[in-house]
Amino acid sequence: MSGVLLLLSAHLLSIGVRDGSLAGKPEALATEMVRPFLLLNTHLADGTSGIYHDYLDLVGVSRENRRLKERLARIQGDETRLAELELENRRLAELLELKDAIGLNVVGADVIGSDATGLARTLIIGRGAAGGLKSDMAVICGEGVVGKLVAISTNAAKVLRIDDHNAAVDAFDQRSRARGIVAGVVDSGMVMKYVERTEDIQVGDPVVTSGLDGIFPRGLLLGHVSRIKRGGPGLFFNVEVAPAVNFGRLEQVLVVTEPPPRFAEAGKS
Amino acid sequence: MRLTALFILAAVVALALQSGTLHWLPLGPLVPDLILILAVDLGLKHHSAGAAVLAFAMGLATDALSGSRVGLNAFMVTLVFLLCYEFSRHLWVASYGVASIVVFFAVVIKDVGVMAVTGSFNGLGGADPDMIRMILTQAVLTALLALMVFPVLDSAKRLLRLPRRAERE
Repeated sequence: MSGVLLLLSAHLLSIGVRDGSLAGKPEALATEMVRPFLLLNTHLADGTSGIYHDYLDLVGVSRENRRLKERLARIQGDETRLAELELENRRLAELLELKDAIGLNVVGADVIGSDATGLARTLIIGRGAAGGLKSDMAVICGEGVVGKLVAISTNAAKVLRIDDHNAAVDAFDQRSRARGIVAGVVDSGMVMKYVERTEDIQVGDPVVTSGLDGIFPRGLLLGHVSRIKRGGPGLFFNVEVAPAVNFGRLEQVLVVTEPPPRFAEAGKS
Repeated sequence: MRLTALFILAAVVALALQSGTLHWLPLGPLVPDLILILAVDLGLKHHSAGAAVLAFAMGLATDALSGSRVGLNAFMVTLVFLLCYEFSRHLWVASYGVASIVVFFAVVIKDVGVMAVTGSFNGLGGADPDMIRMILTQAVLTALLALMVFPVLDSAKRLLRLPRRAERE
C-alpha cells in the first residue's frame, strides 16, 4: 500500500498539478479545511492584548478599583485599536496609491499564513477563486513585488514569494538598464543571473521588473543590489539582490488580476 | 474510523499551527514539523493500509500550504511512514524518548529529501552549511516537541478507546 502511495506521490510530483484539475482537488480541499483555523489565528493575534487586559480586570480587587480598571482597560484597548487602525489605514493608503500608479485591475487580500514547513517561501492569502484569482497572477505590496499565485482554492490562495528558489522574474537594473533574471536562492535572499560582465552595475542600484515575463507589470521594485561578485571565470556577474519587501511583516497585499498591457493585447489578438 | 477522525483533526490543527501560530515564535524560518510527528506515530504504532493513506493525505495537505510542487511532501511523508513502519517491525519502540529520536531522523530524512529534489530540479549542486544547520536545528526542535505531542496523542487515543499501538507482529 505504501509503495503504491509513494508511486502516486511521485507521479503527482512529476506531472505538475494545475488548478482546476482533478489531481489539484485534494490540495484545494486541504487549504479550505485549514483556512478557518488560519483566520482564527489572525483574529487571535489581533485580540490578544484585549483579552489580556480583560483577564487583569478579573483579579480580585474592590468594585471601584475594578470599575476604574475596566475603564482604563477599555481606553487602552481603544488606544491600541486606534493605533492599529491608523497603521492599517496607512498600509491601505499605500496600496491604493500603488493601485492608481500601476493602472491595472487589482484586488486586495489579507495574508493569513506562511509556509507550513519553513523549507519553501510561500504565503497563504485569504482570497481565492471566488474573488476572481487565478494561477500566475502577480502579487505586490507598497514596498514592491511579493510573488505570484501558484495554487488557488475557493477562498484562499498560495503565493510563491520572489525569494523562493523556484521563483524567477525577468528584471533590469534601473540605473544602468542591465537585464537579468532575478531568482531566489536556497539559503536566503535573491540573485540576479545572466548579467553580462560589460554592464555597469553598482551596489545599491534598484532592480525592477521588466514586464517581459507576462506576469509582473513593468517597473515594480524587486530589491536593491547588495553585493557583486566580479571575480572568477564566466560570461556573467554574480549579483546578489536584497528583497525590497519585508516578508515577515506583510499583512495586506494586492493581486494584479489582469496581465501587463502588452500581453493583454497579445492575448486578444 | 475513530483513528482517521483523530488524525484528520490533529493534522488540521498541526497545519494551522505550522502555517500560522508557530511563525509568531522568534525562530526565524524554522517551523517544527508537527505533521511528521503524526506520521511517525502512525508508522510506529499503526500498521494498516488506512494509516498509510492517512500519512499520504497529511503529506498532500502539507503540499497545499507549502512550496510549489504538489506531491513532494506527500512523497516524503509517505516515505517516512514506511521507514518508521519497517523500523518498528524490527525494533519495539516503547518509550517516548526513542520515538522522539526517530522523529529527529525522520525530519532530517524528509528535509534532505525535499532539498535534494527541489535542488536537483534547479540544477543546483551540493548543500550549503547554513541549510544543513537549519535542518538539524529543525530536527532537534521537532524531536523535543514530539516528547510533548506523543503523550497528548496517546491520551486522545485512550479517550477514544483506541489501541495506543498495533499488536506486535
